[in-house]
Amino acid sequence: MRAVSDPIPLRTGAALLTATVEELSQRAPAIVAAAASQMRGIRLGLGFHDGSRALLSARHSRLVVEHPTDGTEAAGPDVEPDVEVVFDNRAMNLLFDLQHRPADQALPDSLDTRGPREQVLAVWRAFSLLAQRAAGLRSVQELWRSYRDDAPAPWGERADEAESPGPAEPVSGWEGVDYLLRRRPQDATDVEPELVGGTVVTRPRLLWDGRGSSPWWHESPIHDADLLATMAACRARTGEAMEAFVPYREPRAELYDLMRLYPARQGKGLRPTLTIAACAAFGGRPEDAVRAAAALELFHNGFLVHDDIADESTHRRGLPTLHEEHGIGLAVNCGDGLNLLAVDAILSNLDTLGLARTLALIHEAIHMCRESVEGQAMELGWIHKHVVPAEDEAYFTMSTKKTGWYTCISPCRIGAVCAGVTDPALLGRFDEAFRLIGIAFQIQDDILNLVGQEELYGKEPLGDLLEGKRTVMLIHLFRTMAEAERPRMREILRRPRSAKAQQDAEEILAAMRRHGSIDYAVALADRLADEGITRFEEDLAVIPENEGKAILRQIAHYVTTRLL
Amino acid sequence: MSTTNTLWPGADLGVSGPFPRAPLSHPLDRRWLHYAFLSRQGGQAIIANLSVLGASTGVVSGEPGAVGCEGEATGGTGPEPQRMAILLVHQEGRGWSSSQFNAEQPSVPWSAFRLPRPRPHGSRGPEDGFRVAGRGGGPEVDLRLRRTSRSCTSQCAPFGDGEHLRWQSEPGILATGTLRWSRAEAGGDDAARHTDLIGYHERVRGRWSWPALGGWVFGFVNDPGGDPTGPPPSAVVFTLIQPTRPSRPVDAANGSVMLWRDGRLVRHFPRRSLRITVQDTLARDQVVLVPPLAQMLGTAPAAAVPRRLLITARMGEDRLVMDFRARTAGRIANPSETSLNPFSVHETLGECEVDARVSGRRTSFSAIGIVEYAGGASGE
Repeated sequence: MRAVSDPIPLRTGAALLTATVEELSQRAPAIVAAAASQMRGIRLGLGFHDGSRALLSARHSRLVVEHPTDGTEAAGPDVEPDVEVVFDNRAMNLLFDLQHRPADQALPDSLDTRGPREQVLAVWRAFSLLAQRAAGLRSVQELWRSYRDDAPAPWGERADEAESPGPAEPVSGWEGVDYLLRRRPQDATDVEPELVGGTVVTRPRLLWDGRGSSPWWHESPIHDADLLATMAACRARTGEAMEAFVPYREPRAELYDLMRLYPARQGKGLRPTLTIAACAAFGGRPEDAVRAAAALELFHNGFLVHDDIADESTHRRGLPTLHEEHGIGLAVNCGDGLNLLAVDAILSNLDTLGLARTLALIHEAIHMCRESVEGQAMELGWIHKHVVPAEDEAYFTMSTKKTGWYTCISPCRIGAVCAGVTDPALLGRFDEAFRLIGIAFQIQDDILNLVGQEELYGKEPLGDLLEGKRTVMLIHLFRTMAEAERPRMREILRRPRSAKAQQDAEEILAAMRRHGSIDYAVALADRLADEGITRFEEDLAVIPENEGKAILRQIAHYVTTRLL
Repeated sequence: MSTTNTLWPGADLGVSGPFPRAPLSHPLDRRWLHYAFLSRQGGQAIIANLSVLGASTGVVSGEPGAVGCEGEATGGTGPEPQRMAILLVHQEGRGWSSSQFNAEQPSVPWSAFRLPRPRPHGSRGPEDGFRVAGRGGGPEVDLRLRRTSRSCTSQCAPFGDGEHLRWQSEPGILATGTLRWSRAEAGGDDAARHTDLIGYHERVRGRWSWPALGGWVFGFVNDPGGDPTGPPPSAVVFTLIQPTRPSRPVDAANGSVMLWRDGRLVRHFPRRSLRITVQDTLARDQVVLVPPLAQMLGTAPAAAVPRRLLITARMGEDRLVMDFRARTAGRIANPSETSLNPFSVHETLGECEVDARVSGRRTSFSAIGIVEYAGGASGE
């Protein structure tokens, strides 16, 4: 897997396709899931004008691109595809490069498509979805521009380089939308230092077409569904609010500096985004949910500090855990302090949201904390008693209590409360959908701990196995392995963490691979996420389609399209 | 006597002209005199709006400053029309500054529509003066104006429940004089500056409430080239009103695009022949809210202002493309007399490209233009 921030050598069409799909998986996961559902069961072979090839297929709700240079496992491009599409220069020009003057037309052999009609149409539908969203994402536009700049292949003549005695006559059409769309990529390169502030990129729209009028002040309810950008913005805003709650006073080095620095190791921003989006979905102002989101994050950080001590974890978000760095005593105290600040943050809503909503927020926070400590007690109890549950349902209950509530369900409910929703029936509509999504998310997190890269995951590799964490994979392993293997596995699990070596964890991992426990977990997470998304659409149909709801939906899909 | 629309019984276009002698007879009767100028180098923009709202009592009133009718008549005992004046100035590097709505205005405001024809080059008259000044330290302009071009009726539109609007425009207005900031706004610099401008003037007369009118988009661009004492070689003005309620007539929205050459109107593209498109929005936080008082009153946010506007018009063989890109915007929050939501007028400045072919002749130029987006009182 490639880190998103790495520079991408986009010199081939296949590399460009890979990078585009990766960007879309993170920034528009709902679209990728929709495209994957169209592509299900179809292997699409793509041959590019530069000789590069790629095989695109759907795996659950993900799109997987394989080609000889990216090192992904499995079939590779030599597998016979169901549908095959081959481009030449001319077709690539037409497809990708709106900035350049299109060739007159695609010749019959420019774009060669082979495959059963129904499957070709399914592929076309999938690419329509992807292309529509990709064209609207600035990061994808950057990718394509990078490709244009890097690709050595000859391109068509640039419109702005064309020899012309004067301003060019419009090639065709006088429709404003077409005119602007044709010029979009070229505009993006404009340097306009005099522009005050930035601009928000939106698609062209007609105010007046000669017959009907669309008021200029009517805004599209969904502006930009770039999930990563939204999460980054929510995370940053919540971080500012959290910072403001930590006082500048003594003792700094032993308490307040730790309380300030530890939450700064922020994660993906999932909880703040859910909180703010749920508030917006119910018509609230996003800013009204920021303090509540900060409170959630402070609670979460307080729990993490204590959790790491209980689990004997050594790393958190890529850095040593607090107790590893400063000792258990200071870490416990810092965790207590963070929980105290969280209460302060909840109460700070009195001024802005009033008494009723603040009381409802307190109620929600208490519920969330209670679920969390109950879940933690269940898991620690299993470890203490050397129990591995026999069925997945026990894990589901523990996981929902321990992480599901504070990661998924409570942020949504708290965001809704910030918007003034206090009806328990309405708040309860988040529960089942986000319970399922939360379990799926946790399972994926557990899988990432086993197969993901440390720099991406943030915890030490195989840390869950060293801690003896009861994951779906471990439960599956103990359910399926032969009797002869059990004593050895039990013996490893019984040892305290300090007595486990890395090869012990690797031995368990090898057993999991042997028994298909990881594949089982991947499939289970996908099934749960699918069910969660179905419940999301059913249970939350009461919320009108708006930007907030769109973000909630994107997060629901984010779980299923994360690259594992 | 009113001008009745026979196709739509009940709708009318208001009183017969000429306007300076036509009374305001309804609480929602309005007259707007609008002035917008850009310095030839594009560094300064001056926008002034003088408005009158409501019926006058007693003696039939004339347009503010109508010849032979000095100011509004005040012979009656009832409420007098509400007069407002605001001056908005943009200076490159300094940004926007504005008066409140109570700027000082001339008792006889300059208006091209009272003058029979463009004045010969170089000649001056006593009525050319135009001074609008913020009270209590706001910006001030003291200009002498001269028209160089012919005026044109942009549109006459009935909408809503008996409401209407008649809009007349004229580009190519020349202005010279002094622009002055308060010393505080000028940051201690020399607060007065001589300026040489070219601009636009309009008069809008009608009866409307802001929620029914919905909003409008209008703009102009003068080609600043050519003889600086004569009319601009080319100029374009466009208007679009977007009534929102009630829905009768269904297509109450109305628009127009006009092209002038050397001071003469050469083409008026009517509404069916044009398309108006917007794309991208200016970052909302960067739109400056004026007048200063509006910032203290917790004025509700307005819709994001489009950054790019494209107009395409075609009639027969005649074609026109106007491509405008806003780079800065000032938002004037007008109190709405009929709703709690303010009616916002956004003045945007930016580069404008015009490419047209009319009567077989090509016109192509780039210049700084002003586009105004108004609306939002309905809270939609």
